[in-house]
Amino acid sequence: MNQDIEKLLEKYYDGETTLEEEKDLRRFFLGGNVPVELKSHATQFGYFESAKEQQPSMGFNSKLAAKLDPPKSGPVRRFTSWVTRIAAGLALLLVGFGGGWIYFRMQPGSPEVAHILGDTSSEIKKVLAFEQMPVTSASDRIQAVNQSLEFGEGDREITQLLINTLNFDPNINVRLAACEALIYFENEPEVSEALIQSLGIQTDPNLQITLIEALVTLKEKRAVDQFQQIAANQDILDIVRLKAREGLGRLVTEEKSST
Amino acid sequence: MDLQAFNQRILPVQGRLFRMAMLFLRSRVEAEDAMQDVLLRLWTNREQLENYNSLEALAVKMIRNVCLDKLKSHNKQKMTHEELPDVQTGDASPYQQTEQADSNQLIHRLIGELPDQQKLVLHLRDVEEYSFEEIEEFTGLSINNIRVILSRARLKLRENYVKENDYESGY
Repeated sequence: MNQDIEKLLEKYYDGETTLEEEKDLRRFFLGGNVPVELKSHATQFGYFESAKEQQPSMGFNSKLAAKLDPPKSGPVRRFTSWVTRIAAGLALLLVGFGGGWIYFRMQPGSPEVAHILGDTSSEIKKVLAFEQMPVTSASDRIQAVNQSLEFGEGDREITQLLINTLNFDPNINVRLAACEALIYFENEPEVSEALIQSLGIQTDPNLQITLIEALVTLKEKRAVDQFQQIAANQDILDIVRLKAREGLGRLVTEEKSST
Repeated sequence: MDLQAFNQRILPVQGRLFRMAMLFLRSRVEAEDAMQDVLLRLWTNREQLENYNSLEALAVKMIRNVCLDKLKSHNKQKMTHEELPDVQTGDASPYQQTEQADSNQLIHRLIGELPDQQKLVLHLRDVEEYSFEEIEEFTGLSINNIRVILSRARLKLRENYVKENDYESGY
């Protein structure tokens, strides 16, 4: 065996071995039981074997792929010219405006705020009309109420509508707005009457307090009875009753000082 | 040829190209650089690749030329750039593994010191196990010439190794 190997080694160093024979040599020297006198030959075969395993680093292929395949970013890159950028920006703007305009036109049902702004009191009436309540939104009605401050003076129909709103609107904010609007029309005869009446109906403490304050500032002495009822009613929130008592006191003292 | 087909053909050869480049340049960074160079050139000329019957032979030839060019262009820096493996010769390591690693580094250095042609032929034959016909195709040398160069390289490597290791019984 060893003689075979020595013969093969001789051939190897002469450059005469075939690939097959070199494989045999390699197998022998990597095998482990190499006699001492041949050991010095083993090292290079060990080296050849380990050198085979050298590979480019992990990141190499991804880096290479990025270099080989740049055309993919082509269509995007073409976008970098400033002319196309501006054009793209303008196009986006146009699409935005166009979309908004179409969206605006597509909603015929809801009464538009812009409409009310430019229109007469008839529009306000339309929005506040009792039958319209399920169709209109709360904010629409608040808008209409606010609008009535400008147009509604002296229009009894509108005052009546506001009173209706104050008493029957399902939304507390609309009722509050109507209440505040009515205070502006204090010189109309039925307003203070309506406020007193409403105070008997309302259950929301917020609105009750607003009404009490309104009646006090109007110095409406006819409200005294209503105030007393509230102050005596145990079911009503404490703060409201306190407010009623306070209002009662102020109305009474004013009455005294005026007489 | 699309990228996928290109990769399919070039991936199996990549390790070999890298080791070739390492053989000459002896630095991982530079070897990868050279390899990238070659692969990029192959990719840009991919239309003509169909005409070559062996992409591998072409790539090996190219990497050899690129490496030799690189060496020529900064010949003076070659020695300083060389990535010397951290040699801890002398003290016999208690572990055979480290011993083998140490002698691997020694062989690596000794091969590096061989003349370019001997280095190349030895590497192609003993590491990559190419046949003489293939080596003939890569290098343009005749088979007889290759045998002579290979013999010289093996003997020289052996001689230097024995000298370094100070073995009592030579070959």
